[in-house]
Parts: sequence; C-alpha cells; structure tokens
Amino acid sequence: MQEQLLRLKNNALSLILESNSVKDLEEIRLQFLGRNGELTQLLKNLPKVALEDRPEVGRIANEVKRILEDTIKQRENEIGKKKIQTTTLDVTEPGIRPPLGHLHLVTQAIRDITEIFERIGFARVRHPEVEWDWYAFTSLNFPDNHPARDDWETFFIKQKPDTKKGPVVLTPHTSSGQVRELEKEEIPIKMLNIAKCYRRQSDVSHAPMFHQFEGLVVDENISIRHLKGTLDYFVKSYFGKKRKSRIRPYHFQFTEPSFEVDISCGVCEGKGCKLCKEGWLELGGAGMVHPNVLKNGGVNPEKYTGFAFGWGVERVLMMKEGIEIDDLRLLYSNDLDFLKQF
Amino acid sequence: MNIKILDSWLREYLKTDATPKQIAEKLSLTSVSVERIEKYKNDFLYDIEVTTNRPDLMSLTGLARETAAILSENNMQARFVAPKIVHPKQIKVIETITIKNNEKLVNRICAVVMEVTANQSSKIIKERLESTDIRSLSNLIDVTNYVMRVIGHPTHVFDYDRLATKTLTIRESKPGEEIITLDKKIYKLPGGDIVATNDKGEVVDLLGIMGLEKSVVTNQTKRILFFIDNNEAGHIRKTSMSTGIRSEATVINEKAIDPELAMDALLYGIQLFEKIADGKVVSDIIDIYPNKQKIPTIIVTETKINNLIGVVIPLKKAADMLFQLGFEVKIENSNLIARPPSFRTKDIQMPEDIIEEIARIYGYHNIPNSLPPLNTAAIINDDTNPFSWEDMAKDTLKYWGFTEVYTYPMVSETLFEGPLEDAVTIQNPLSEDMVYMRRTLVPSLLQVVSKNKNHPEIKIFEIANVYHKRQNNLPNELLRFAGVIKKSAISFYEVKGLIEQLLIELGIKNLVFKPLEKGGDGATVFFDKEKLGDIEILDSETIDFELDFQLLLKHATRKKAYQPLSKYPSVIEDLAIVAPATILTGDLIELIQKQSTLIKKVSLLDKYEETRTFHIIYQSYQKNLTSDDVVPVRMKILNSLKEKYNARLKE
Repeated sequence: MQEQLLRLKNNALSLILESNSVKDLEEIRLQFLGRNGELTQLLKNLPKVALEDRPEVGRIANEVKRILEDTIKQRENEIGKKKIQTTTLDVTEPGIRPPLGHLHLVTQAIRDITEIFERIGFARVRHPEVEWDWYAFTSLNFPDNHPARDDWETFFIKQKPDTKKGPVVLTPHTSSGQVRELEKEEIPIKMLNIAKCYRRQSDVSHAPMFHQFEGLVVDENISIRHLKGTLDYFVKSYFGKKRKSRIRPYHFQFTEPSFEVDISCGVCEGKGCKLCKEGWLELGGAGMVHPNVLKNGGVNPEKYTGFAFGWGVERVLMMKEGIEIDDLRLLYSNDLDFLKQF
Repeated sequence: MNIKILDSWLREYLKTDATPKQIAEKLSLTSVSVERIEKYKNDFLYDIEVTTNRPDLMSLTGLARETAAILSENNMQARFVAPKIVHPKQIKVIETITIKNNEKLVNRICAVVMEVTANQSSKIIKERLESTDIRSLSNLIDVTNYVMRVIGHPTHVFDYDRLATKTLTIRESKPGEEIITLDKKIYKLPGGDIVATNDKGEVVDLLGIMGLEKSVVTNQTKRILFFIDNNEAGHIRKTSMSTGIRSEATVINEKAIDPELAMDALLYGIQLFEKIADGKVVSDIIDIYPNKQKIPTIIVTETKINNLIGVVIPLKKAADMLFQLGFEVKIENSNLIARPPSFRTKDIQMPEDIIEEIARIYGYHNIPNSLPPLNTAAIINDDTNPFSWEDMAKDTLKYWGFTEVYTYPMVSETLFEGPLEDAVTIQNPLSEDMVYMRRTLVPSLLQVVSKNKNHPEIKIFEIANVYHKRQNNLPNELLRFAGVIKKSAISFYEVKGLIEQLLIELGIKNLVFKPLEKGGDGATVFFDKEKLGDIEILDSETIDFELDFQLLLKHATRKKAYQPLSKYPSVIEDLAIVAPATILTGDLIELIQKQSTLIKKVSLLDKYEETRTFHIIYQSYQKNLTSDDVVPVRMKILNSLKEKYNARLKE
C-alpha cells in the first residue's frame, strides 16, 4: 500500500511537471485527486491494511494529496506567468511613472556646496540682500571712489541714505555678510553664506541676479595654510579627487593678502588646452580678512585672524557639470524645456 | 588690465637663463598671472594680467625688476638691468613755456620742448609696439608709447607750433565744453575733467585720457612739447567712464602711477627722440612737483609674519626677499622695519601688506594645506534650521511633479502688486522690466506660465524673498513659498490637498481654510489665528498659491508624538446627511466631531446634490463598542445637526 502510494505520487509528479497548460493540469488533478481519481480508488483498499499500519498509511496518503495539490498550484502559477510573459507583455511600452519634478540647477549646486562645507564645521547663514552701503562696501574697506560703487556697477535703492550707514544697495557680493557675521560676537566663526547677489550687467556671461557662496573663518592663529586646506578640500570634494588647487597673488579691498584660486583643468588634466590657461581654470577670489574689516566688525585684529572666499555658484556649477550653457541668463529665463533637463 | 610683452624685449632688462615657460610659471605663482605664452615669429609673447594694485608692473622695467627678484628667490640666476637714464648735455635754451598747474588735479608735470624730424619708426620699434597691441603711427607718437611700455608712465607729445602758446594752464573742464580728440571724434565734456588751455583759453588737451586734434603732431611737425602728466587718478577714471574713452594711457593713469617715474619717462623719451627723430632739446627741463609722496615706514613682528602665513620663515630670509623687491629693510630685535619703494607706496601701507610680499615670494605653493581646527562647531539643530525645512518642502514638491523656478526679484510696474509708493525701488534699473523689488511671488510665476505656452500642463514653484518697505530702515525680507498649477479642469481641492499634505510633512496640522480674504475665488489659509497665505483660482485651468514661509518655519516641527493603539476594534458607520448647500462641510464635521470622545475620526465620503455622506469611526480605549454605546452618540449627532443646521438623516 505504501509503495503504491509512492508510485502514484511519483507518476503524478512527473506528469504535473511535464504539463504545459492549465487544461492538462486540470486533467491530471481529476485523474489522481478527483472523486473517482486514482488516489481515491487506492484508498478504498484501506480496510485491507493491517490495523496497526492504518494510521501510518493514512498519514502518507494525506501527505501525497497535499504534495500533489501544492505542486499542481505551483505549476499553474509557472504556466500562468509564462503565458503573460510570452503572449501579452510588451516590455518596450512606456512604464507608468510616479510624477517627478525638477529642482533648479542652482538649488542642486547650493546643496552640494553646503554639504561639503558642513562636513568641516561650517554653518549656513542668511544675511540681507538689500543692504546698507556700510556692510556692502565701506566696512569692507572699499574707498569712496572705488569702481564697484559706481551706479553703472551696483544697483542702488531710492531711499534717503542713513547718516552713518550710507545709501541702500542690492548686495553685489556675499561678502556683505562678513561684518554682519563678525558683529554677532561668536568667535570662532565658520560661516557659509549662500545668497542672491546683484550687479548691473546683463550679457551672455552675466545675469543681473546671480548667486555666490562665501566662507568666513575667524579664530586665533588662522593662517594661509588653513585657507589653502579648506579650498583644497572643497575643490577635491566638489570637482573630484584628481583635481588640484592653487592660490596666486591677487588684489581685493577686503583681504590682505588676497588670492586668486585656480583649479587644474579637468579636460587636459593640467597640461594646458584651449579651455584653460596653461592647465588652470580660475575659480574665484579669496584672502586673509583685512584687519580693517575685523575692526569694523568689532573684532580685535591683534588677537584674531581669518580668511574668506566668495565664489559664484553658477560658475562652479558650470565648471563641474561641463554643461556649456552659451548664455548664463538661460538659468533664469525659466524655459521649462530647459529646466526639465536637470 | 593686460599687457603683452615680447620675451626678447623683456630680456633687455632681465638677464637670466630661465626659459620663457619658467618665467611665466614663477610670475603666475608669485606675482601676476601670465595667462598665455605664445610663439610670436622667432620669439615668445607673454600675455599678462596685471592686478589694479600693481600698475608698476604695466611696464618692462617693472616686470623685469619683479621677475629678477622672484627668480633669484627660486635659486635661478637672474639680474635686473635698469634702462639707462641720462640727462641731456648742454641745453641751448631757445624756447620757454610756462605751465600753470593745479596741484589738486595733477601731481607732477615734467616737460620739455624739442626740435624733431617726423618720420617712420625703425622696424624693431614698430614690431615691438605692434606685439604689445599698440599701433605704430609715426616716430613722434611711437616714442611716447615706447616710453610708456619701458618706464610704465604714460606720456604725451604736442606739436609745439600748433599749440602756439606761451602758457599752458591746467584746470577742471566746465560742463558741456566741446573737444575734438586726435581721432577726430567730438565729445561734450561732463565737467570736472582735467584739461589744459592755451593763451586764448581754448582747450588743447584732455590730460591723462587722449590728445586733441588741435594740438596733435603731424607729418609736418618740427617742434614738440614732450609732456609727462601725473594725474589725480579719480578724475581720470570719472572722465574715462563718462566719455567712454579707454585708451591704453587711461587704463594706466586711473590706477595712480608713481610720480617718481615721470622724470625717468621724460629723460628716457628725450634720448629716444634724439636717437630716432633727430631730437634736440631747446628749452629748460620743466619739473613741477609740489607734493612729493610720503613713503611709510612699516614695522612687522616675526610672530605676526609666521602666524599669518602658517609657516616659520627666518627673519633674515624675509628681509632678503623684501630687499630684492626694492624695499629698504632693517631687522631690529624680532621686528622687520621696512619702507617700500616709491612705486609701491599706494599698495604697501600696513604689516599685512609686508607679510603678503614675504608669503608670495616664499611661494604660496610651498605653504602646506591644513583644515582650520575644529575646537568647536556651530550647532545645527534640524528643527530650527530653516535650510533643512526649505529642502524638505522643495523635495516634496519635486516628487509630486513640480519644477522649481528662479525668477528675478526685480519686477516691472505691471508685475508689482500693490501701490507703487510701497515699493522698494531701484534708482538705476537696467531696464523697465526690473525696477521694483517684488512684494509677491505669484505674478512672476504666472509670467513663467505664460512664457511656456507650449506646455499644456504646468506645475511650478519657487521659494524666495519678497521685500516690504520700511521707513528709514532696510526693507523687511520675507521668505515666501509660491506655486502655480495649470491643467485642464483643475480642482481647488487638489491644491488644497497639496498644501495640507505638504504642511503635514512639515509637522503643521489642522489648517483652517476660509473664503479668500481679498475676494475672488479661492481660500485663505490659517494656522491657529495666523494667516499663512492664499490659494487663488484664476480660471478653469489655473490655480496659484503663496504662503508665508517664515511663518511655516516658526511652526514646523519634527516632534513625534506616540498615541497608544486601542486594543479594541473600531466601529465604522456612514451617515448620509441632507443639509442646505449653504452649510459648510467643515462646520458639519466640526459639529459631529464635538459630540463625543468616542468619535475618533469624521471625514466626508461623498457629496451628491444636498446629501453629504460622512464616514465616522468610533473607537474606545476601554472596551469593545456595542450598539448600546454607538446608538446614543449617533442620536446626539443627528439631534445637534438638526438643531444647529436643520440637517437630517437621509431616509
């Protein structure tokens, strides 16, 4: 009896596994498990089995039944799947996607920049975009007749100048936040100021509104080596480990010494090519905070030193992505066909 | 400002074995940037960007001196050979001219009258000038430019006979005075420009900017007034900007040139006229120099040098570097006492300037990199960090299919919302489209929608400041969050739901929506009693919203509250209520909710004509609810609805 059951099981299993249609499977089910199926027939002989063996035979019979049912079901699924795959599924038809919008390229760049500087202890802040001349120029050591203060360079607001803080301007650079930050009297300072800036120019490489990110570090014994270390950390994090940075002498009103920061050209890897200047690309300005600026922010330049840098967000973005946008103003023209590319 | 210099010309004043590439590299790293070196015939041409604080490097002498110092510090053989400057011998004075200066306008004037022969310049002079982007004209003009390049001080030459005056008077121009420059262009002067007039009071020169047609040398010129004027730089810049004249001389003059160079320029020029124009000096040499410039003495301590640079540089070594650059230097105790050369006095004023000289000659590339110490760090708490909330709001909208836009905050009169006297107004706008700082974001977004007509469906948003004018103060800058949805048959409830869901993401629940305060279709959104902003239905396919993001920041929270789960199942029932259409659903829900603490949640399931079906969930934390518990509550609900709103259960 046990043997017959096992044989039945094996026969049935091989038929099930060889079957190729749901119809065949149904026939197999009837053949073995149906009311007049082979298993039922076989069990009619149960009374002939010795009394003591009956529970064991009963158990095996139940197990065989369960295994066959499971296997039939499993095979059914397999056949079913195959059917969908082979007959109706056109995988080249478009998928149904959840809605996905787009963050502006500048937002994406600001996030990348912020993340890098936060890792080394900088904290992002916000300062006014419409600002007193004092913060935008005078406190930063700009002389009265400096070209940046001309009204063909900087936007002025129609408003009576303050007797102390002068006229009101749209911030031409994020450096306007330096003295505001110093005034907080929370040294050490590790400021990251990312903001809109405004200059009175509009051509393919200038938009009247753009973005800068400004770093300011003030503490005891801050030196050129810290400035170099920070800039190099940013360059390698943002542009890639292979890129090198260097500083060269430059001139700004509010830093002394002042530097121009270059990164090695990503195209020729520093060998020199059409896109770069002898293997280098200009990134932006930096320098050690001018003692007058510290003084204007109420910080003692004999005790504290610092460094600062202020670079264009759009500039580093273009340099990183290698997206050659032929007109920078496209970033702010809000053509959806453009914005949806990113 | 850029200067182009031939390698062979530079080497007349710089004796070195260094290759052009080495020179370019060292200059770029320690002084001024050599943007390119290119092959030029059998020579090399440097294209150098000179920073505005180093006008002394806009000359061969300056560059050769600087390069020699740098190369020597880098252990390369290099020597600066200054141009030979000699005084003319045995002058026979035939002519005299008086120059009446105004010392507020011109710092120094050096001048001389010479007899000359006008001609073409030699090939080498022509080639050198052309390589440095100066057109060769005649030998008389070429000398002025050649001197400017070698010595670094712009110079001028008048036709002495055409000038025909005994006195040259320097004064400020009057507004509207008309001049014709040597390139025959007519200008009306803005006033306050430095001019020279002749005996008749006619303007004969626009000093520091450009010569005039009236007094320029010609092919017939026999006698010249060779004239070096060291002008007050602010005046030059102003005239240049207002007239738009950007001559080579202007660019240098507006940077405040060392007046000490003026006499060198005159003497060197005299030699050149003698050599290439049969020049003969026929007047005394005039030198008007009322106020010699003061040279500061600067003391800087060894500690300060080392602290700011971040490496230890022996004082002796630092002193050597400065000496090479033309400074007078002494070491006393552990101090450096330095006096800059005359051509650096504008630029070198304080200890940090001296440290810059030492650091750059030491080589910035030789200073090691290290990150600033992290003894303390700013505490960034996500709950109070506005930027992280901004990111969250932006991300949420992005994943709901919105595109972020950045529009200009300066808007036209048409886009400005509100009375113009409330506007923060730009005094010098670039165009009429950008005059006022906006008070609202939505108009800018609607402009984006209308610009993108090719898109049938648009979902955009922006987070940016608006500007509210304040008396005698900076404007209030308020962060706003605005969006526009355009699609056919847009529903108000889509936008309402969007705002509700977004604000839940920010931890702000239980908003109250009331009819639009300013009128029109839409809603005004409140949280507690504070107004968050508006949703506005513009037409059947456009809805916009603008919320006060600062207020959202105030209430946004990541606080999580645990509510224990009830062990007992809930009872759910739907009540179809017939109520007049004028009764607001929100009021009905509020009333139902109030009736019992067993009511866990009430929501609108369906609305058809006058019938609104409410989905009510009852649940207790104490026990299994039976109909004995629910029936009385239901009765209470129906009674209150009937009493307050004359509403009834649908039969």
